[in-house]
Amino acid sequence: MATALAALEEAYARRGAPPAASKDRTDGRIDGRAGDRTPVVGYVGADVPVELLTAAGVRAFRLTGDPESGSALADRYLGGGVDPMARSVLARLLAGSFGDLDRVVVSHDCEASLRLFYALRELRRVEPATGLPEAYLVDILHLPHRTTAQYNRRRIGEFAARLEAWTGRPLDLAGAVAAHDERRRLLAAVAELRRAVPARLTGRQFLAVVNAALPVDQHIALLERLLAEAGQLEEHAGRRVFLSGSDHDTPHVYEAVESEGYVIVGEDHSFGDLSLKEPIGAGGLDALAEHYHHSGPTAHRATASERAAHAATAVRHCRAELFVAYCRIGDEAPAWDFPAQRAALDIPAVLLERQEYGRADLTALRKEHPCAV
Amino acid sequence: MRSVKSLATAAEAGRHQREWFADLRRRVAAGEPFALLNADVPHEIFRTMDIPYAVSQWWASLVAAKQRSGHYLELVRQRGYPDYSEQYNSVTLGSAFDPEPEAGPWGGLPRPDIVVGDASGDVTRKIFDIWGHEPGVTFYPLESAAENEVPLNWWELMPHRWEEAVGPARLDLLTAELENLVRFLETTTGRRFGESRFREVMALVNEQEEWNRKTRDLIARTRPAPLGVVDSIPSVMLPQWHRGTEWARDMAKRFYEEVRDRVDAGHAACPGERARLMWIGRGLWYDMGFYQRFQEEYGAVFVWSMYLAVAADGYIRYGDDPMRALAARFAAFTDQLYTPPWSSEWYVKEARLHGIDGVVHLVSDDPRGSYFTARALEAAGFPVIEIHADNVDTRTFDDEMVKRVGRWLESVVLA
Ligand code: SF4
Ligand code: SF4
Repeated sequence: MATALAALEEAYARRGAPPAASKDRTDGRIDGRAGDRTPVVGYVGADVPVELLTAAGVRAFRLTGDPESGSALADRYLGGGVDPMARSVLARLLAGSFGDLDRVVVSHDCEASLRLFYALRELRRVEPATGLPEAYLVDILHLPHRTTAQYNRRRIGEFAARLEAWTGRPLDLAGAVAAHDERRRLLAAVAELRRAVPARLTGRQFLAVVNAALPVDQHIALLERLLAEAGQLEEHAGRRVFLSGSDHDTPHVYEAVESEGYVIVGEDHSFGDLSLKEPIGAGGLDALAEHYHHSGPTAHRATASERAAHAATAVRHCRAELFVAYCRIGDEAPAWDFPAQRAALDIPAVLLERQEYGRADLTALRKEHPCAV
Repeated sequence: MRSVKSLATAAEAGRHQREWFADLRRRVAAGEPFALLNADVPHEIFRTMDIPYAVSQWWASLVAAKQRSGHYLELVRQRGYPDYSEQYNSVTLGSAFDPEPEAGPWGGLPRPDIVVGDASGDVTRKIFDIWGHEPGVTFYPLESAAENEVPLNWWELMPHRWEEAVGPARLDLLTAELENLVRFLETTTGRRFGESRFREVMALVNEQEEWNRKTRDLIARTRPAPLGVVDSIPSVMLPQWHRGTEWARDMAKRFYEEVRDRVDAGHAACPGERARLMWIGRGLWYDMGFYQRFQEEYGAVFVWSMYLAVAADGYIRYGDDPMRALAARFAAFTDQLYTPPWSSEWYVKEARLHGIDGVVHLVSDDPRGSYFTARALEAAGFPVIEIHADNVDTRTFDDEMVKRVGRWLESVVLA
């Protein structure tokens, strides 16, 4: 039998395709569609409360882009200034690359996601021939104030009610939260394997383990096996890098950086360490709303000082030796964090600005840090 | 050749702006608090409490007009921040880092005690938060919330039925944030917030924008157009920065009267008017003459830009609860201009109202891409030409673009 790591990497390679139906529960329906087909929901962004999607019994997966395929039509709809990751997701939706989706749920985790939502909503209205699925916006916001907390609670409630209306049955929230909490607990343990010295997982492997396209229950089973097999994992002795900045929905940049002899042992974007937060627990929708209000600190929603404080703690925690801030073109927020981050750190810090989607200009890294290779 | 001279209101507004800023500097030097506000923030609160304030975008445009943007962006860059990101706000941030603030335009921007901006996009909050770390400066952020489903006809709903247009979730949020802002300002400045004064300010804003609405309607229905966008923009924009004052209301009224007098006297921007043009996109501030370049040869007049139109449709809010009405003015303000379906449907409505013959669409890399606006106009039968303004030398841009637009006028609009 293949190792759990191999199985997770294989599932990661299938990202951007709906996961198989979950086995241990009866699944919901949307619009009374095909009796035996479990509804499929693609979601966009870090702030979609996926627990609710699981609770509704739909097959949900995060939509990701592809730096290797073009996005000309999406560029036209969204404008060239939008983060190419979002443009690529729209291009793939237009091309039908995600298969037959019943709904797209979008969060307001960054400006590009919001722009993508508006484009989907408008295209469906004025160009129905594009065949795009109905889009729904979950507007979770992040100012650290009670006014925002109350707003988020209302939006979470609206989304829960909408899911019930779509599937025509109540949500199993407690069960879903328990499953996601268990997955979070296991992923936190896996994260420690990568933080070990020497690292027992590369950044590329960790990205695959976290974002494997699997239903929660199957994901949990593989994570348990991975932890059981931890003793057989290889050691990775490269120079330890903390990767800050833009989201990485594909492994391209991780592969590029690690091919130079580095190991990415921590990061602060929503496809990696930042997705592993405290458990939500038994508080129902209130606890869920608070969880998402406090998520992050992402480059797009936190202040520079919050990001710097987080970087200082995270870098110590993962014993990184080099801090690399990666800012994709069209994603300018991380560049504003860098001065405060650098000032808060006691390791060398490099800024890679205006990087192309899926690429990393490693000459800057090599020049700054000749001894790293 | 231009057949009419500039409006008296435009000249008067320009003069007033200098006097106002000199007075503001005097007041702040004498120890009064000073607020720096983003354009989409409810200024009416500060007006009500008589707290001197300036608008970030206005300051950035003044800096740009004085060719000083590079200086402030360099100060931003020296601190390690990007100089290519959200330049309107970062130019203003740069003035906070200026070792010689008095050397700035018009004696320089005073150091603010409070900065208020909404958390729109990914960067605005970061920029103002960095400012909030400067000694003596507090940053008060407001959320920028979004709605899942909206009715299309916002311009009909907004004056009285804004609750339907904006939706209760966003209104509850901003109303609560504004109530808290008032308490914060009362506490930190010692000033009082008078409810009747607030109602007065709200009424003045509605009156001002009603005058702008009459002006917009008059221009829309008058052929040939009594004036083009070069004349309407300053007369409407400068008073907008002083919303809620009698001066601004009176200026809007005088602007209307001036336009009406022109109509009555039969004056036209271009008496030989053959085509009425709409301009989509930010203004070509460095070359306002562009807008008049097609009059002589083609009789083509730019009669529409968003500035007067959004004054006419975007601000008016009536209702018994002034704080909620104020929230309704700003909770979805930019959606009116930039978010489909609101933006696209509104531009079509405006094009019809003005009898537009052709649309010139300035495409930029602004993430608020306007594809859907142009698309809606085309689908409604209005010819659209796209011009690209990024990274192009102003001079060549101008020559080539004038030729292209000329060919388009001949072969499409006037054909
Ligand atoms: S080049 Fe110098 S600073 Fe950079 S990683 Fe090597 S030793 Fe450290
Ligand atoms: S066509 Fe217009 S611009 Fe030319 S002379 Fe006549 S009025 Fe003036």
